[in-house]
Amino acid sequence: MAASRYWRGVALVAALFLAILLFVPARFDLFEVLQMTQYVVLAIYALSLAYIWGFGGIISFGQAGFFGLGGYAFAVISINMGDTTVPFLLTIALCFTFAAVLGYFMFYGRLSDVYLGVVTLVVTLIMWKLINHTAGPEYAIGEARLGGFNGIPSIPIMRVPFTDREMDPGEMFQYFMGLLIFVYLLLHVLIRSKFGRIAISIRENEVRTGLLGYDIRRYKLLVFSIGGALGGASGAMWATYQTFIDPNAFSLEMSAKCLIWVMAGGVGTLIGPIVGVVALQYLSLKLGETAFINNLVILGIVLVLLVLLMPRGIVPTAHDWLRKGLALVLRQPSRERAQ
Amino acid sequence: MSPASEPILATSHLTMRFGGVVAVDNVDFSVAQGELRCLIGPNGAGKSTFFKCLTGQLRPSSGSILFDGEQIGGRHTHEIVARGIGIKTQVPNLFEGLPAYENISLAAARTNRADAAARVADEVLELMQIPEIAGDTVGTLAHGQRQLVELAMVLAGRPRLVLLDEPAAGMAGEERARLASVVRNLAGETTLIVVEHDMDFIKDIASTVTVFHRGRIFIEGHVEEIMAHSEVQEIYLGKETNAAA
Repeated sequence: MAASRYWRGVALVAALFLAILLFVPARFDLFEVLQMTQYVVLAIYALSLAYIWGFGGIISFGQAGFFGLGGYAFAVISINMGDTTVPFLLTIALCFTFAAVLGYFMFYGRLSDVYLGVVTLVVTLIMWKLINHTAGPEYAIGEARLGGFNGIPSIPIMRVPFTDREMDPGEMFQYFMGLLIFVYLLLHVLIRSKFGRIAISIRENEVRTGLLGYDIRRYKLLVFSIGGALGGASGAMWATYQTFIDPNAFSLEMSAKCLIWVMAGGVGTLIGPIVGVVALQYLSLKLGETAFINNLVILGIVLVLLVLLMPRGIVPTAHDWLRKGLALVLRQPSRERAQ
Repeated sequence: MSPASEPILATSHLTMRFGGVVAVDNVDFSVAQGELRCLIGPNGAGKSTFFKCLTGQLRPSSGSILFDGEQIGGRHTHEIVARGIGIKTQVPNLFEGLPAYENISLAAARTNRADAAARVADEVLELMQIPEIAGDTVGTLAHGQRQLVELAMVLAGRPRLVLLDEPAAGMAGEERARLASVVRNLAGETTLIVVEHDMDFIKDIASTVTVFHRGRIFIEGHVEEIMAHSEVQEIYLGKETNAAA
C-alpha cells in the first residue's frame, strides 16, 4: 500500500517532468529555454549531493570537486575526440572512479563525518588551486589547453548521440531534461532496492547496521561513488551547455550553493533539491535584475528565513501543510453531517 | 573434551587498554556450544568492553579470540557477525524512524532474499511474542518493548552465539518473564552470554555465572554459589577486598 503510493508519487513527478520536456521548447523563448536548461543541469548537480546526503548520510562539503572534474574531463576528452557522447560516458566513469578512490581512503580509513566533510572540501580546494595554476602553454592535454584561470573555451556543443549533428538549444534542453528524469527514476529505484534500504539504515544508525553484519564501508563507498558520477555528469553538461569551463566550477561557492539547494529543498527527498535549485536560482536571477540592492543580501535573508520557518526544507514542509490542510477540509463536511 | 562441551568461544590473555586504563585485563574466558552463561560485575568492570572486543567494535590491545576454532580478534564487525555472532547492546540500538517489522526484516535481509526475510521476520516476531507491535514505529515504543525488538533483530540474523548486554534493564514483570522464557528456550541450540545486574533474572535463566571485576575474571561458578560468595557481595557493594586486589 505504502509502496504503491510511493511509486504513484514518483510517476506523477516524472510525468510532470515529461510534460515540461515536451512543451517548454515550443512555448518559451530562447532565453527562457537556456535558463531552464541551466536549472536542469544544476538540478542533477544538486541530486548528486541530495542522494549521498539524504540517502547515505554522507555530507560532502566539496561536491564541486566532481562538478569541476566532470566539466574539465569532458572538455579535454571531447576536444581531443571531437565527439560528445563517448566523452560524456567516459567523464561519468572517470568521476565515479575518482570518487571511489577518494572514498576508499575516507571510508576504509574510518573517517568520521566531520573529517569526511573537511577532506572533501580540502580536496576540492586543492583541485581549484591546481587548475588555477595551469595557465601556461605547457599545460595541455592533447589539443586541449587547460588555460589556468581563463579556463577552456570552445568546448563542443552536445551532439545528438552517435551523430555529428549539434543539438539546438531546444534539443539540448530536452536531452538534459530526459537525463534528469532518468537520474530521478534511477535514484528512486536505487533507494527502494535492498542496497538503498541498507544505505538509509547506515544514515539512521551506522553502529547497528554494522552489528547486523553489513559492511558499511562498502555501502558508503558505492553511494559516494554514485554521487561523484552524477556530480561529474552535471559538470560535463555544464561545460557543453556553456561551451566553456573555468576554475570557478571547483569553487567554494559551487560547493556551498549545492549544500544550500539541498538544505532549502529538503534533505531526504529527491524532488526537494530540484525545487531548491529552481526557486533559489530564479530568485537570484530576478534579484540580479534589480540594481537598487545587492541580491546576495536579499538571498541571505531569504535563506535565513527558510531555515527558521522551514527547517526541514521547502518540500517536506509544504507536504506537511498540504496534508494538514487536506485533513482539515475533509474533516469539515463530516462535522457538518454530524451536526 | 567431548565435542558437545567444546568451546565455541575462547579468549586467551585478552586485553583492552585505553591509554593507561586497562578495561579488559588478560582475560581467559570460554563458553561451550549451547551454553547459557551470565556475566556479572559492577559498573566499569569491563563487561561491555569485553563484548565490544568480541564483536570487533574495539580492536583488542593484545590476546586472542577464537570463535569456532577461528581467530576473530581484530576483525571487522561485519566479518565477525557474518561468522555467527549477534549482539544486543546495552542501550537499545535501533532504527528509530522505522516500524519494528522493518527493523527486523532489515536484519533478516542480510542472509535472505526478500520473501525469505519476511518469513524470518514473522517467525522471530512470534518467537518474541511481539507481533502486536510489528507495525509500530520503534521510536514510539516503551523501553522494554525496544529491548525485545532489538533482541528480535539479533535473532533474525540466525547467530550461533548471542551476546545480550543487560537485556532485562527497564523491563516490568510480565515482559521480564517473557524475556526469560525466550532466553531459556534459545539456550541449547544457540550459545548465549548475558550481561545482567538483575540477580532474580539471572537465577531465572542461568546456572553458570562469571564475575568480572576491574577488567579481570574474579570468579566463575554456579549461580547459587556465586550469589552466596561474600567477596562477590562486597564487590557489588563497592567495598575493597583482598581477593580483588
